[in-house]
Amino acid sequence: MSVRKVDLHDVLFGGFLILVAAGALIATRKLSVGTAANMGPGYMPLAISLGLMAFGVFFTGRGLFRPFRGIEPVQLRPLLAIITSVAVFALLAERLGLVIAALATVIIAGFGGREHRFVESVIFAVILTGCAVLLFVRGLSLPIPVWPW
Amino acid sequence: MELLDHLILGFSTALQPGNLLFCLIGVLIGTAIGVLPGIGPIPTVALLLPFTFGLEPSSAMIMLAGIFYGAQYGGSTTAILVNVPGETSSVVTCIDGHEMAKRGRAGPALAIAAISSFFAGTVATVVIVLLSLPLSALALKFTAVEYFSLLVLGLIAAVVLAHGSIAKSLAMVLLGLLMGLVGIDVNSGASRMTFGVPSLSDGLDFVPVAMGLFGLGEIIANLERTTTRVVVKQSIRDLIPSWADLKAAFPAMVRGTAIGSILGVLPGGGAALPPFTAYAIEKKLARDPSRFGKGAIEGVAGPEAANNAGAQTSFIPLLTLGIPANALMALMIGALMMQGIQPGPQVMAEQPALVWGLIASMWTGNLMLLIINLPLVGIWVSMLKIPYRLLFPAIVLFCCIGTYGISNSIFNVWVMLVCAGVGYFFIKVGVEPAPLLLGLVLGPQLEENFRRAMLLSDGDVTVFLRHPISAVLLAIVAVLMLALLSPTLFRKRKQALSE
Repeated sequence: MSVRKVDLHDVLFGGFLILVAAGALIATRKLSVGTAANMGPGYMPLAISLGLMAFGVFFTGRGLFRPFRGIEPVQLRPLLAIITSVAVFALLAERLGLVIAALATVIIAGFGGREHRFVESVIFAVILTGCAVLLFVRGLSLPIPVWPW
Repeated sequence: MELLDHLILGFSTALQPGNLLFCLIGVLIGTAIGVLPGIGPIPTVALLLPFTFGLEPSSAMIMLAGIFYGAQYGGSTTAILVNVPGETSSVVTCIDGHEMAKRGRAGPALAIAAISSFFAGTVATVVIVLLSLPLSALALKFTAVEYFSLLVLGLIAAVVLAHGSIAKSLAMVLLGLLMGLVGIDVNSGASRMTFGVPSLSDGLDFVPVAMGLFGLGEIIANLERTTTRVVVKQSIRDLIPSWADLKAAFPAMVRGTAIGSILGVLPGGGAALPPFTAYAIEKKLARDPSRFGKGAIEGVAGPEAANNAGAQTSFIPLLTLGIPANALMALMIGALMMQGIQPGPQVMAEQPALVWGLIASMWTGNLMLLIINLPLVGIWVSMLKIPYRLLFPAIVLFCCIGTYGISNSIFNVWVMLVCAGVGYFFIKVGVEPAPLLLGLVLGPQLEENFRRAMLLSDGDVTVFLRHPISAVLLAIVAVLMLALLSPTLFRKRKQALSE
């Protein structure tokens, strides 16, 4: 069956649910289920995963027989910029301190915009980092290293 | 008079200088994010949540609540002047509000929007006062059985009233419930779906989930669209509306307040439903419906009153039963728990200063908003000149730091990152993420009460029908489900939501 004939909204969402449900079933397969009167830790995960699985199968099946509905094309630029900037923050914040992590996050995120101006973005990152340090570390005493040393 | 004592206690709490200050901070932040399209109250409250830890419980709640209803005021300013909703709740205000602005009546439109919101806020505060006591008295009779049924009702109502496909919303609730199960099972000590990650043993924190799904996912989707913002350029005058305008708007204000108050209490009412319903009703009642869409003042007054009334009455289930009516209330529950207060009917009796102080602060907050929004409207308009290319990197950074701040864990930042990807996926396939958050927050309570009820009844499911209150609640669930299956109602709902 070609992609042109299916409702991609339904099929993708259904597939996602099946994946999640299958993952949950595998992850909780060793937990004891128990009985309705005395439920074990595995009872609810099993019940909910089966429900999710049913929904997933339903959406996938329905989507295959519905008229075509595509999804808006994914634009890589904003997606990659935001994902990378957050990942960089996660990697740098505790190792190199807030200043470097914040500068990198703001500059990388800036690439996600269509009308990106590099110099403006760098200047803005410096200002923003200053504000963040003042607000979160000085003002709200967040325990995070500020500098790498 | 017991009620009077409560009110005096409430106002004496709300009028303490510290609490007045936090109320002002809350409504200022709320107005700011309301005015700015692309950032809503959910990520903002999630972001500030970790930093309310050091505050008094009442100050924390007063500030966070102020953000929520403050955003309702701010959203309308953008709707009227730019024809872009600052918040989802002000989508309908765009229609007639912007039309009024284009005809040189931006001043009266802004004034009527603010006055309607203030009127609705005042009435809604009274409604909360009147309903809270009897409801919390009723709730004290609740056992695990009634709680379970109530939670089911809440989740189902959330699904029925959400936008979009009902089946998909149900699936999202289940997904949220499943995510709520992650962590160590309190009854057996077995770890579930933690994948050996120690940070997961306490369960998934909902703040990174909320920020990822609502904050970052939204940013990525926004960046894909090309938007042009045209601010109406005219000096804003006539901020004091004429007598004729007020007379035309007043009945719509009253009706909008009533609609908003009722829909706000319903779990899952969400932000968009009250103003949409109010607009549809005004159009139906108008002697000349063709004026709507061409700058009818009722089309601004009704929806604006409804969204503010709904925002406030959605606190009722939270304060009396400990159940969140929408995703934002779910965050408020998180705020309470961070203060070491277990939400539920006992909060009213144990923390009267907190509850009544919060309620009283809604009125003082609304008064502040009236002043902030009318004479100072110029300041907010100039905020609209901040380009999105500067705004979004700032939001990303604050989301990162905020998420880290909840429990000083980098792991939460990774959770947020994954949720951002998932949130973007949901936007792409057209699914509304709000029911997921509700499921995630209610999941642990739902399981706990279900297991307790089943243990007490020895595995007999009919226990839910034998307890009268529970039976009534489940009957409502059944009626809702049946109503959904009925084709005529289904069509009406579709119509109402798409209008």
